[in-house]
Amino acid sequence: MVKGVPEWLKVLSWIFVALTLTFVLGPLVVVAGVSVSESQFIAFPPTGFSLRWFNAIFESNAYVQALLTSLRLAFAVTVTATVIGAGAAIALHRRRLPGTAALAGLFLSPLILPSIIFAIGLLMLWSASVGAVSFPALWIGHTVIAIPYVVRTTLAVLADSDPFLEEAARTMGAGRWQRIIYVVLPQCAPGLAAGAFFAFNISFDEAVIALFLRTPDLVTLPIQIYNQLEFSPDPTVAAVSTLMMGLTVLLIAVIDRLLGIQRFVGN
Amino acid sequence: MASLELIDIRKSFGNVQVLHGVTLAIERGQFVSLLGPSGCGKTTLLRIIAGLESVTSGSVRIDERNVTDMPPEARDIAMMFQSYALLPHMSVRENVRFPLRMRRHGTRAEQDQRVQAALETVQLAHLADRMPRQLSGGQQQRVALARAIVSDPKVLLLDEPLSNLDARLREDMQVELIELHRRLGLTTVFVTHDQEEALSLSDVVVLMNGGRIEQIGDPQSIYESPRTRFASEFLGSANLIPVSVGEGASGLQALLPGGETIAIAADTQPRDKAYLVLRQEDLKLLPLRSDVRGDFEAFVETRVFLGARIRYVLRTADLRLKCLAPATDLFAPGERVAVQVPARMAQVIAA
Repeated sequence: MVKGVPEWLKVLSWIFVALTLTFVLGPLVVVAGVSVSESQFIAFPPTGFSLRWFNAIFESNAYVQALLTSLRLAFAVTVTATVIGAGAAIALHRRRLPGTAALAGLFLSPLILPSIIFAIGLLMLWSASVGAVSFPALWIGHTVIAIPYVVRTTLAVLADSDPFLEEAARTMGAGRWQRIIYVVLPQCAPGLAAGAFFAFNISFDEAVIALFLRTPDLVTLPIQIYNQLEFSPDPTVAAVSTLMMGLTVLLIAVIDRLLGIQRFVGN
Repeated sequence: MASLELIDIRKSFGNVQVLHGVTLAIERGQFVSLLGPSGCGKTTLLRIIAGLESVTSGSVRIDERNVTDMPPEARDIAMMFQSYALLPHMSVRENVRFPLRMRRHGTRAEQDQRVQAALETVQLAHLADRMPRQLSGGQQQRVALARAIVSDPKVLLLDEPLSNLDARLREDMQVELIELHRRLGLTTVFVTHDQEEALSLSDVVVLMNGGRIEQIGDPQSIYESPRTRFASEFLGSANLIPVSVGEGASGLQALLPGGETIAIAADTQPRDKAYLVLRQEDLKLLPLRSDVRGDFEAFVETRVFLGARIRYVLRTADLRLKCLAPATDLFAPGERVAVQVPARMAQVIAA
């Protein structure tokens, strides 16, 4: 006879759910609330309702510039991280290279390495070898931290694929490039799309590397928010954050509709 | 003319040698089975013919041309994989068209025609626009078969293609393979570990063991005259009885451990140590009566009903024999029976 769940455990699980909801969704609710407040101070709960702070963003040169920089950067990172990550994943999947395990560790290491250490190191390396920090430095930095996501999502779909497909294609007369175009890439496609999505989001959202590699002309949206918050806090910060949130949710919805995000999260 | 020739093929993976010099010539249009237990090297040999595996030494010739150093895509072959290996992102039609497309075989219209013909051959024309995942296992297999024959390859390679099918589908498919082969006349190499499948499908059976060819022959000769202990045990799991062969009153006879003698075929030499090969279905069981003369007596230890036939496990003082009898020969476990062995069925091989 199976015993029912004891009362105290039920209570505990409800507390757990409530805490999770509070701390996952609570901050987002606060930010969204503040963004539509009439007050010019950052205060919660909001007083009144107004969209003036959203208006203010688009009238602010600094915000618009930062948004453009962030979008430009995120698109560039998406392209490089996807291309490099796909190549790495395919090579790792085949296990023909010497030291495959070590290489896999290397490609995934940015996931566990504290990004502040990476940021400081990249700044010193760039200053010593290239000179003044510029867009390419940030591009490279974000690409490095985005690659592991592309590698992981692509490896996940490759692991599910039939290992004999490429051999079969060879017996059907497909040469190296034909196999890549007609067999390998179509197999990777769902993983690449998901990886590209992650890459875009990571770059768009990243603040630590962007903070270390900023210049007056190179300020991303998260850094602009940070600057604003530090020097003249007003609800535009919340409005920008709400917009970023909206964009991310939209992206997730699109990707989920197209591919189903679930299969990549578990791996 | 040989359509496919293998000349002293050797293959090692690291320190492990899996093929120890295999030489084989296959005539145009023959259906040849590579038969053997897992690990005998049959699949490696097939992959070497395909070019998916390199040789350590030896050479492969297809249609008189040395293809040993050619990659698979340059050899004019087709291979059907055990997993079927259909491209999941392409429709049935596109899968079947793939070899033609990769080899730039004719115009688009000609390709469409050949695809249609290949799909009709395997009776799948009505499913041409489905995706592979929407098909049953049997249908996927037909698609793989259509894809293998569509480009009219010089050699068709089949890697245990029937092993993923259930028993009924498998029998249907065997018949279809025979008919397809008769119609198209493609030189075909078929890998299997199932002796019945090899015997029923092929013109030539190549029995392999431990990276070597154990025996080659047409199905009947290889079944009726196994030359080695391995061959006789693998083909039909025959009973092997240690005997000595000597001259008896009426020709050669084998002396069994229990002292009984059995007349054997004349084409052997007298010797002290040999094995008598008694296939399960060659033993004739008779009720033990005064007017019945068997070669020896045994009692029934176990009876297994198999439908059309019954398998008996028989015991004598020294031997334990398996026997396949028609379902009409009914004996109870514990019953004593007379066993007859037709002389022409009693083969002797070297110990």
